Amino acid sequence: EETGGDDEGFEYGKGGYAEHACRYCGVTNPACVVRCNVPSCRKWFCNSRGNTSGSHIVNHLNHNDLKPICIGDLDQPSSTGMTSLLKCCWTDAVCAGDGETFPCTSLQGGGEPFGAFEFVRAKHKEVCLHKDSPLGETILECYNCGCRNVFLLGFISAKTESVVVLLCREPCLSVNALKDMNWDLSQWCPLIDDRCFLQWLVKVPSEQEQLRARQISAQQINKVEELWKTNPDATLEDLEKPGVDDEPQPVVLKYDDAYQYQNVFAPLIKLEADYDKMMKESQSKDNLTIRWDIGLNKKRVAYFVFPKEDNELRLVPGDELRLRYSGDAVHPAWQSVGHVIKLTAQEEVALELRASQGVPVDVNHGFSVDFVWKSTSFDRMQGAMKTFAVDETSVSGYIYHHLLGHEVEVQMVRNTLPRRFGAPGLPELNASQVFAVKSVLQKPISLIQGPPGTGKTVTSAAIVYHMAKQGQGQVLVCAPSNVAVDQLAEKISATGLKLNKQSSLVMIMLDLFNNEMRRLFQIKPNSRICNKGVERDTAESTAQVVRLSAKSREAVSSPVEHLTLHYQVRHLDTSEKSELHKLQLLKDEQGELSSSDEKKYKSLKRATEREISQSADVICCTCVGAGDPRLANFRFRQVLIDESTQATEPECLIPLVLGVKQVVLVGDHCQLGPVIMCKKAARAGLAQSLFERLVLLGVKPIRLQVQYRMHPALSEFPSNSFYEGTLQNGVTINERQTSGIDFPWPVPNRPMFFYVQMGQEEISASGTSYLNRTEAANVEKLVTTFLRSGVVPSQIGVITPYEGQRAYIVNYMSRNGALRQQLYKEIEVASVDSFQGREKDYIILSCVRSNEHQGIGFLNDPRRLNVALTRARYGIVILGNPKVLSKQPLWNGLLTHYKEHECLVEGPLNNLKQSMVQFQKPKKIYN
Amino acid sequence: DEEVQVWQNKVMDVDPEEEAEFDRELRSLMQESLDSRKLEPRSRLSLNMAIPMNVSVGPTEDLHGRKGLESGDETLDEEAGGRTKGRKEVSVRVLVKRGNKQRSKQLYLPLDCSLVRSAKEREAAEVEE
Ligand SMILES: [Zn+2]
Ligand SMILES: [Zn+2]
Ligand SMILES: [Zn+2]
Repeated sequence: EETGGDDEGFEYGKGGYAEHACRYCGVTNPACVVRCNVPSCRKWFCNSRGNTSGSHIVNHLNHNDLKPICIGDLDQPSSTGMTSLLKCCWTDAVCAGDGETFPCTSLQGGGEPFGAFEFVRAKHKEVCLHKDSPLGETILECYNCGCRNVFLLGFISAKTESVVVLLCREPCLSVNALKDMNWDLSQWCPLIDDRCFLQWLVKVPSEQEQLRARQISAQQINKVEELWKTNPDATLEDLEKPGVDDEPQPVVLKYDDAYQYQNVFAPLIKLEADYDKMMKESQSKDNLTIRWDIGLNKKRVAYFVFPKEDNELRLVPGDELRLRYSGDAVHPAWQSVGHVIKLTAQEEVALELRASQGVPVDVNHGFSVDFVWKSTSFDRMQGAMKTFAVDETSVSGYIYHHLLGHEVEVQMVRNTLPRRFGAPGLPELNASQVFAVKSVLQKPISLIQGPPGTGKTVTSAAIVYHMAKQGQGQVLVCAPSNVAVDQLAEKISATGLKLNKQSSLVMIMLDLFNNEMRRLFQIKPNSRICNKGVERDTAESTAQVVRLSAKSREAVSSPVEHLTLHYQVRHLDTSEKSELHKLQLLKDEQGELSSSDEKKYKSLKRATEREISQSADVICCTCVGAGDPRLANFRFRQVLIDESTQATEPECLIPLVLGVKQVVLVGDHCQLGPVIMCKKAARAGLAQSLFERLVLLGVKPIRLQVQYRMHPALSEFPSNSFYEGTLQNGVTINERQTSGIDFPWPVPNRPMFFYVQMGQEEISASGTSYLNRTEAANVEKLVTTFLRSGVVPSQIGVITPYEGQRAYIVNYMSRNGALRQQLYKEIEVASVDSFQGREKDYIILSCVRSNEHQGIGFLNDPRRLNVALTRARYGIVILGNPKVLSKQPLWNGLLTHYKEHECLVEGPLNNLKQSMVQFQKPKKIYN
Repeated sequence: DEEVQVWQNKVMDVDPEEEAEFDRELRSLMQESLDSRKLEPRSRLSLNMAIPMNVSVGPTEDLHGRKGLESGDETLDEEAGGRTKGRKEVSVRVLVKRGNKQRSKQLYLPLDCSLVRSAKEREAAEVEE
């Protein structure tokens, strides 16, 4: 069976949203708000003035809301013979008559006036206090006559007792008989005074609350009140909604409040989501040939080749696809959704199907496949922004104002610092790493910049180790990608190896959303069920690491599979008495359970998962994974986000709005940022990470300064060009010298050269990418030379910025490679972007662009060049056209650097010669 | 739970014209409300203003130990977030009707509010007598 959209019925960010929030500014303190009591309104407003003349509630009541009211058909006599007034459909203001709803054509259709009508003020004059306010849920009314018009009400006190009541000014206050009673009428104290409600009755929000609220102007109030006339549910966000063709509002450095922040980012996320959906759903493929198989878990697996064109996104494990068969004479039409569990080297996709029944396994041809797009990650970003705005507890006040770019007085975190800053199981920290750990532990917000190979992950792991030791609750560790999460999780688990063996360092990695889990979350867990298992496991196993993953990834094998929660759940409780275990075995044997057993199984599993999660010290997941409903009830004071410069701001916000008080953003804004597919959104600034904006706001990142990756000759140019020359070498020339490798480096001890290429670029078959045949041919020659000299395929990486060239090189090598085909197949050829965060011993960079007049496209981005140049440990070869590249200042600098070191060469590989090619003058640097 | 010092120039001046307009609207609303009630016949108005017995008998001290209005005791308000230290309040009972039932609730009034001031003056006058 197919379960529908995973997020059905679940509203993100609802957690912090209060119905009684002031509709202008969002203040939620029950003592500060009142509800407008008109049945058609019922909106809440607070008693703060903000930047306007009166308090928000008085503003609302005072809004000049003139409504046309139909006074009915004067010719229609009622039963009493009097002319009756029919009830107007336009407004429920007072209309005499028979109460029948009557279409008011004169107002709605614009046709002939149906009857008489006049304009009256809408009656927003009654209010009700909140049930949690000091007086409780109370409609304000005259104690004597029950009049509810707040403009007439005021307090009087009794003469001899400490008792007060509300009394209307007209007529009750002027009734003579009252004067003789026990009431003091000389001091009638109006309810609305100085354009505010009496502050002792409806409190004015504190300064803190007001600062954190939405800053609304009188103009915005007028606009939203106008909007409410036609759409009572309209929000202030609706005011900002751009039209379809409008260029979205660009991001800025500082935001007045989280609502403005949301107003800027929400449309950008929407644009990106729409684009992503359009892209993915257009990837339908027909006429596929299927090879059927059955997985170890008895689930049906379909293998097929998914033809890939160069403008398309790559499939990754976990992606959801729908497989379809349109039916024939013998087989009915069939379809099923499944998850990609792996991609074979032959670019074959393995799809594990959800449904095992009715699969036409005797058919192999004529299948179609579509991408099943999910809005989950985008929904979570929107949800996080909403939470950030409406939930005051989502992040600490300090972090709230800091993130919005407000100037905040520096705060230190009062924590006892550890004696040494390294962590067990990790390499000794260098001076800049120690400095980073030490400063981070003392500050509520810090940025760590980790240039390539500087031990970012180790530093992060050490920070997490010390944070976890502080006992402030669970530490949340995130990164935008699963790969980065896995890497960091492994390092953190290494520190756990030498932790106190009794205490468990459990980590959970969550990623995609799992609807089933969410539903089960409602079920009251039988919390005792796995206690024993946890203890036993803790005592026995050295690393207590759990990876909790969504269904889609549960079947995907991961390098840290033993860390996953679903693995642990399965292996946790082996005692025969465990019902969960019994059911698990049954399920494994039969492939499925009866519906009642299945229900029981899921509830037990859920309980177990929760038990394990709650006993964890550290929780690891992707940024989007932090929005998993399974974490909804968790609070994290300390959050570390690795590779944060590769996440968009709203993505970064997801892990932060779970109550953060101390945040560490790790990344490098001098390397590639988040990938934004929608150009409009990218232009508006969605590609700028939070890390980067904080840097622009003046937050100084702590830079790790010693690199342990590159041969010193390779790090020189990147250090000077991207890191002001601060990058020191933690490896020596000797440590990066490979004996026995015979490669024609032009200068000994400088394993690098720029290989001058003059071949023309071409547009690829798809028309959307480029390739360069000469460069591709020379890449093959270089690869062959490396392989012949004793380098193994896994040591070599070929980088090229263009998908067209990537595909061409792969193809070319496998057809024309001088050595065994298999060797070439094992060589990774990929884009700069997909090499970020990784390294290879030898890198061959094919620049592709070679034209007379056009630009150099992708190569223009200095951050992309930085990443490309810093992947190699032992050596690098760059292939490109210096005449074209030298127009760009940074490339000009690179070419000059290579030339000065006699590493700019041309000619056949076995006879490389210094190139005398003339560079072009670089265009002016705008700065 | 923590104090954050935010340095921000948030004080946007209210446009005086807008303020005047606001006041005009508000006054006309008040007047409109008054006028609508003046037309109602006063003769039919019944008085239902007796103070129920149990109100004054009820606890004269609230949870914070602050005494009632007539005692005139001045106490420091410590629970209002610490920011308003030194503000002085007195406790009163607010009578409300829910249907025909009368109920009373505890509320704190600042000493400088006109209700409290007039009560004080009255007390002082009584003492003089
Ligand atoms: Zn209203
Ligand atoms: Zn408000
Ligand atoms: Zn009255």
